[in-house]
Amino acid sequence: MPPLLELRKLTKRFGQVTALNEVSFDLHAGEVLALCGENGAGKSTLIKCLTGIYPTSSCDGEIVLDGRPVLFRSLREGEQTGIVAIHQELALVREMTVAENIFLGAEPTQRGLVDWNAVYSRTRDLLNRFNLELDPSTRVEELGIGQQQLVEIAKALSRKARILLLDEPTAALAESETARLLDIVHDLRRRGISCIYISHRLEEVLALADRVTVLRDGRSVASLTKPTRPEIVRHMVGRDIEDYFPRRRTDPGEVLLKVENLAVAPARASGKNLEGISFDVRRGEVFGIGGLMGSGRTELLMHLFGAYGTRTHGSVSLLESPFSPHSPREAIARGLALVSEDRKRSGIIPGHPVGFNLSLAAISRLCGRWMINANLETQANQSLIAQLRVRTDGQEAAIDSLSGGNQQKVLVGRALLTEPDLILFDEPTRGVDVGAKVEIYEIINYLTSIGKAVLLVSSELPELMGMSDQILILANGRSGGTFHSNEARQESLLEAALSQ
Amino acid sequence: MVIALAAIWIFFASQSGNFLSARNLSMLAVELAITATLALGMLLVLLPGHIDLSVGSGVGLIGGIAAVLIFQYAWPAPLALLAGLIVALVLWALMSTLIVRQRVPSFIITLGGLLVFKGLFWLIIQNSTVPVARGSEGNLYSLLTTYSLPQWAGFLVGTFICGILVLTWIRDRAARRRHGFPVEDAEISFLKTFLIIQGILLVLIVLNSFRGVPLCLLVLVVIAVLIHLLTRHTPFGRHLYAIGGNEEAAHLAGIPVARVITTAYILLGAVVALTGFMQTSYQGAATTTVGELMELDAIAACVIGGTSLRGGRGTVTGVLFGALIMASLLNGMTLLAVPPEMKLIARGTVLVLAVWLDTALNRHKIFR
Repeated sequence: MPPLLELRKLTKRFGQVTALNEVSFDLHAGEVLALCGENGAGKSTLIKCLTGIYPTSSCDGEIVLDGRPVLFRSLREGEQTGIVAIHQELALVREMTVAENIFLGAEPTQRGLVDWNAVYSRTRDLLNRFNLELDPSTRVEELGIGQQQLVEIAKALSRKARILLLDEPTAALAESETARLLDIVHDLRRRGISCIYISHRLEEVLALADRVTVLRDGRSVASLTKPTRPEIVRHMVGRDIEDYFPRRRTDPGEVLLKVENLAVAPARASGKNLEGISFDVRRGEVFGIGGLMGSGRTELLMHLFGAYGTRTHGSVSLLESPFSPHSPREAIARGLALVSEDRKRSGIIPGHPVGFNLSLAAISRLCGRWMINANLETQANQSLIAQLRVRTDGQEAAIDSLSGGNQQKVLVGRALLTEPDLILFDEPTRGVDVGAKVEIYEIINYLTSIGKAVLLVSSELPELMGMSDQILILANGRSGGTFHSNEARQESLLEAALSQ
Repeated sequence: MVIALAAIWIFFASQSGNFLSARNLSMLAVELAITATLALGMLLVLLPGHIDLSVGSGVGLIGGIAAVLIFQYAWPAPLALLAGLIVALVLWALMSTLIVRQRVPSFIITLGGLLVFKGLFWLIIQNSTVPVARGSEGNLYSLLTTYSLPQWAGFLVGTFICGILVLTWIRDRAARRRHGFPVEDAEISFLKTFLIIQGILLVLIVLNSFRGVPLCLLVLVVIAVLIHLLTRHTPFGRHLYAIGGNEEAAHLAGIPVARVITTAYILLGAVVALTGFMQTSYQGAATTTVGELMELDAIAACVIGGTSLRGGRGTVTGVLFGALIMASLLNGMTLLAVPPEMKLIARGTVLVLAVWLDTALNRHKIFR
């Protein structure tokens, strides 16, 4: 029997970066195929290509459905052929009922008016047919995350989906809900509906998948039938750390930051709890923090910076005096600086010059009695631009005109201008080209060489191992273990991150 | 923007011989001072991405409070003005607290302010007309818009301003040279300064040929210089732009977002009080219509001057231009005895046209 869906050497480039490199696999009707890979291996890009969010014409290679190559120009065209993705962030309207959501955008009408009786009766039939226990007239906001996911699945099925793409469907689910979801996927398989299942939880993958395709660095490196856990992990890691991390070790000095048995409660119910976290950071040291997405890495960093949650337990001290900042302003005053995760959302001030963005956090240090000393500011900015090798037409150029890597260097510069002792880097090389990456690593080297300490959060294990002196792995808001980088192996780090 | 202004002036000058007369230009100067002062205050809250719809009602209320204190309770004018100012500061501090601490959108809070202040205003003047002075002799309040500097004082102030301009010009160049930065060609910057001084002189001569420089124009100059320095040359100003550009990034860069926004609103409160005094004084008395629609004029002047309602963009010079366009329009139409209904339609049309033109031209720039 020919496969239902086949990818032939699918390649997707963003400028210089190759996100997918000749990815090939096939999927048969009624089969569950799991996609495994580290963060950044190309899974999300693959989903976007498969569903038409990235038009097929922007990729090389072929997507073959029912033996015929297809060309998706939009998400809608992808859905019309029966490929539907259930994303991590659910795309439901919270204020509407289950039935309204399922038929949103495809409401049956009668003389131009929505036929509500048809909406509700067809929803009931659909839910019954697939054994989904939901009330069509419940409002979605009253449902738990797990039930909301079922609504998404029902919505997909109502659109005649033949292939479901489930992207980390259990990441936010409790155990009982997870079991229920797995049952439903089993059930769908019996009815001839295929699934592409993406999950970090290898237990689920092993329990559910007929076959596993492993992605690494944008390539499909292995296609395994009923594999074992070590087999999958070996293929996911599968490489040596290249000599691409120019870390120069320095002898660590005094303890700068001491975290003992820290527990943090989020300000909002949807936030992440942190519990039982302890570690020391010394001068001259790069302290790495790893873990899967949603494991609490960013939350830990933000808490230390006075921008996340309230401390419920434990203590933090900075240079041997208690440290509990209530705002980033206080943290900066105590000698911390942050290079935040999402450049666009919480980093650059768009539409303003490079110089404005650079001096922003330190502007009150560049003042005379009343006013900003423009010459002092220009001088400070100029020397940073030269030191960090920011490629720009000058400090009057708009920040938006710079490449991602150079914008990142400006943000590093903004942090350095406040003369911090401890610099928190959250994913400093995300979306940055290789050249700029190495330059950012060199900046980190320079900082530790002059006695500063660095906290480095990264979801790339090689980067974490290549750059850090010690590594803390977080798993679901708790410590999964601390490792010395010279004794850590990728397999053990990954195991620690996957432990619950 | 300059072209639009020139077009408006040429049109009115050709329709009415009086538009460019010294007498009318003096009136225009007073009207500009009132519109522009309020618009400059508005700029302070627009920059961090907020808005204030209550300033029009506030102008009436604060002007009314001072008038009532003088006319009915026989307070000395300076004391009455001070009381008005304090009330304004308290009211705007209150509104900003609600906006910042309770996180109610500023649009809603100040919309509430618009209605409440208007009601309070009518309550306080009891729907009647309250003159700003008792008897016929003037006081500080009434003189705000009627007093003009004598010719010699006008020239003195003009010379003083020109002197400061030249001095800062020389000092800036020296400082840049000391730091080893490139300095603008001396002849070009001399020419610029020279032209500005010529402009100031021209305004002086025109105004002096009628009654002299109106006091409230001087008020505007002071306010404009202060707000220019505040927005462009202090950390506070940087913070305003940064919050409007990206509030989360600003917060993470250590900017005290809540305090900055509160301060901006309190400063706006002071400006509202000042505008309230000038506007009520210009009308001669507090009546129920004082300040009506002035919030929209202020926002329009800002937007025409290139201020973004989403925050992060806008300059004092731009706002001054915007206010001059709005004031000229109103003044010219009054001169031509345009009926009030047509005035409203014309003001709305100019606002939409100006902003549409601006975005259209900017879009072109981006795509080029």
